[in-house]
Amino acid sequence: MGATKKDRRQKREDYRAALRQEGVSELPRKKFYRQRAHANPFSDHQLIYPPHPDQMDWSSLYPDYVVDEAQDQQTPAPEAPPDQLSAPLKPKRISKDVEVADIGCGFGGLLVALGPTMPDKLILGLEIRYSVTQYVEDRIKALRLQNQEAKLYRNVGVLRANTMKFLPNFFRKGQLSKVFICFPDPHFKARKHKQRIVSTTLNSEYAYVLRPGGIVYTITDVPDLHEWMVQHFEAHPSFERVSEEEQEADPCVEIMRTETEEGKKVERHKGQKHVALFRRLEDPAW
Amino acid sequence: MAIPCHLLKACGNFIFAAQGSSIHSLNSALEHISTWKYPVKQGDEPSGQTTEPRDSPALEGPPTKRRKVEDGQESASNGHAIDSANGQGKTKSVDKYAHPAYEKPFIQGLYATTDGRHLVAITGSDKTIWVFEHDGAGNLKQLSQRAMPKRPCSLALTRDNRTILSADKFGDVYALPLISSSPGATTTANTSHPTPTPPPLSRSATPSLPPKPQANELTVHTKRNLRALENQKISLTRKAQQQQESQQQQQTTQPQFEHILLLGHVSMLTAICVGTERVEEEADGAIREREREYIITADRDEHIRVSRGMPQAHVIEGFCLGHEEFVSRLCVGPGGRQEILVSGGGDDDLFVWDWATGRLLSRAGVLEHVKRVMRESVGKVAVTRLLGCRWKGRTCVFVVVERVPAVFLYELLEDNTLQHRETVPLPGNVLDVEVIELPGAAQRLLVAVDCSFSTDEPEKSTSSLIVLDKQEAAWQQTKVENLPAGGDINVSEDELQKILYTTESLRKLSDFD
Repeated sequence: MGATKKDRRQKREDYRAALRQEGVSELPRKKFYRQRAHANPFSDHQLIYPPHPDQMDWSSLYPDYVVDEAQDQQTPAPEAPPDQLSAPLKPKRISKDVEVADIGCGFGGLLVALGPTMPDKLILGLEIRYSVTQYVEDRIKALRLQNQEAKLYRNVGVLRANTMKFLPNFFRKGQLSKVFICFPDPHFKARKHKQRIVSTTLNSEYAYVLRPGGIVYTITDVPDLHEWMVQHFEAHPSFERVSEEEQEADPCVEIMRTETEEGKKVERHKGQKHVALFRRLEDPAW
Repeated sequence: MAIPCHLLKACGNFIFAAQGSSIHSLNSALEHISTWKYPVKQGDEPSGQTTEPRDSPALEGPPTKRRKVEDGQESASNGHAIDSANGQGKTKSVDKYAHPAYEKPFIQGLYATTDGRHLVAITGSDKTIWVFEHDGAGNLKQLSQRAMPKRPCSLALTRDNRTILSADKFGDVYALPLISSSPGATTTANTSHPTPTPPPLSRSATPSLPPKPQANELTVHTKRNLRALENQKISLTRKAQQQQESQQQQQTTQPQFEHILLLGHVSMLTAICVGTERVEEEADGAIREREREYIITADRDEHIRVSRGMPQAHVIEGFCLGHEEFVSRLCVGPGGRQEILVSGGGDDDLFVWDWATGRLLSRAGVLEHVKRVMRESVGKVAVTRLLGCRWKGRTCVFVVVERVPAVFLYELLEDNTLQHRETVPLPGNVLDVEVIELPGAAQRLLVAVDCSFSTDEPEKSTSSLIVLDKQEAAWQQTKVENLPAGGDINVSEDELQKILYTTESLRKLSDFD
């Protein structure tokens, strides 16, 4: 047993190392990246995250959007004056901000489908599981190489992160226009309900990173979880549910239904898919 | 093991000092006036409070987390339990509370209203918030005792002194009225809010539906899981029948008093405070000035969050981000500088913020000054107290660091930098610090120290309160000797250490793995 386990790990490492060599444009195979489906969002893990969104280095995720500082010298930074204290090491700037986030992106099906449909927006997948994040990273890398001429998938990136804790470390207030929460871990036990990715207290954080008018997309195959998410978003004063017609007219909904890995799996098992969209409202007068 | 005073709170002309599970009151001349003692639990509860849902073994709804019971002395405490419970067939939960430290939980926080008429205290292991009325002469009268769903870590009071904000270990902030309406009469007393009151947040979706499996045939795919689902359904219907029977006997385990969930972090909260911002607004052609209230919360994951005050606490205004270790203490508006927030924790520095915008204004080193005191090499610090005040005509912040026998005095300058002014060495580890205001604008500093480590003068180290008077360049130290003995809790030295020094344990252990 021990030997085979070791074997498997070795194989995995060899495979990933080979894939990471320059110029390999083969899509990664999932079997070398499998990981237990659940991660405890309360534990500390070994996460890397910036102390402040201004210190986040996006240049490695979106190398095509890096601003050449030398060229850009004449035009001073449009944002706040450089703050020596909060940003001791100014990371390379990119010309655009991430605007779409897929929370719990899994193996990246939605990301890869959204990328070409929103070529002018930067899309970020966030996933807590290390191996799965690696898979998506390799997948994006391969896709970029395969579509070199068309310059596709340059606007898609993935990060390992615990969004339940560290969403405000990556995004500033009102930075996002769309947040996707697709087939989240249902956490059936009542005791684990606080681990659900949607809760009234967490919804305040989604409201913080979303701009007014921004949309949260949710989909699940578990009816109870669907009810839970609807209930909690509707109970939150910063959100309202998007009407059925508007929901069905949104092209992202169709992509979310058919392109996510979980969506395909539910399709195979002939399960139900429950979709709900919520719009971020303006904050009330204060 | 003598327990030192570990918490101080000045309240008008009086000082309250918590020692173990007792609260002493002293006048400004530091003469002892009275002592409140934690009511001892016996067979029949003399305190006559009914609002304590102790973890009874028969629970309904979500089962509570199993709590860690301190190991060691277990056989002794078991014997004690049988004695005190008169051999009644009580279950495990009794053993836990029969342990001395559990029977009389330590006071973990002391807070006073700005008018000095009420004192609020937290006790640790029983998760209870206590409210006392202060008669203006140093005597306390217990008004209420409310056991929270999770252990409160820090409290704050709103500016109108009517609402307690409780930040707990689970990451949630609850609002509860200072003066609780009588338990049981939980009428919807939302009249104090302006009309557009958002519905209170709630975590449980549908609390009292008959239990049913959350998975169904469409979400479960393998043969084995389908069989498990079948079994689950059968057992659940059986359970539901049982529950219906027992429901008639027992009501919900939810606390019976009014408490509203305001906001929550997915991380242990460590500090909460209320900031105010003055805004001018034009209404009917006249410029009116009013104050906005904000709730500022800090957690173990380096965040400081600024949310609007009630009733819009669901709106996050911003974050003060920059800490790289846990935040353990917040001090808003030191010496009346309302726009300033000073924060400290496991980082080497204190951070000074313009909290309304989330902008970092300056940093001030703590570790460098601690190194000078400790001589031996210290690599990290954990800030345990930040006391902002006007001290001798200047805006100052007194800083206490865990397991360091000194108080550090910083001055907040006009350019928003914190300047280290002085280090006051003391004979034992400092636990708390408070300023005593005397008539004629005179000020003294009261310090609570843990002298259990000072080997010199062992017979004199019983007193844990020291008054400091600044004279010329030197600090005159005087011990406060007239306190009643507080050794009514029997804890071992190790346990005492664990109870008194909890801040450093918030640090993440990432460097080890």
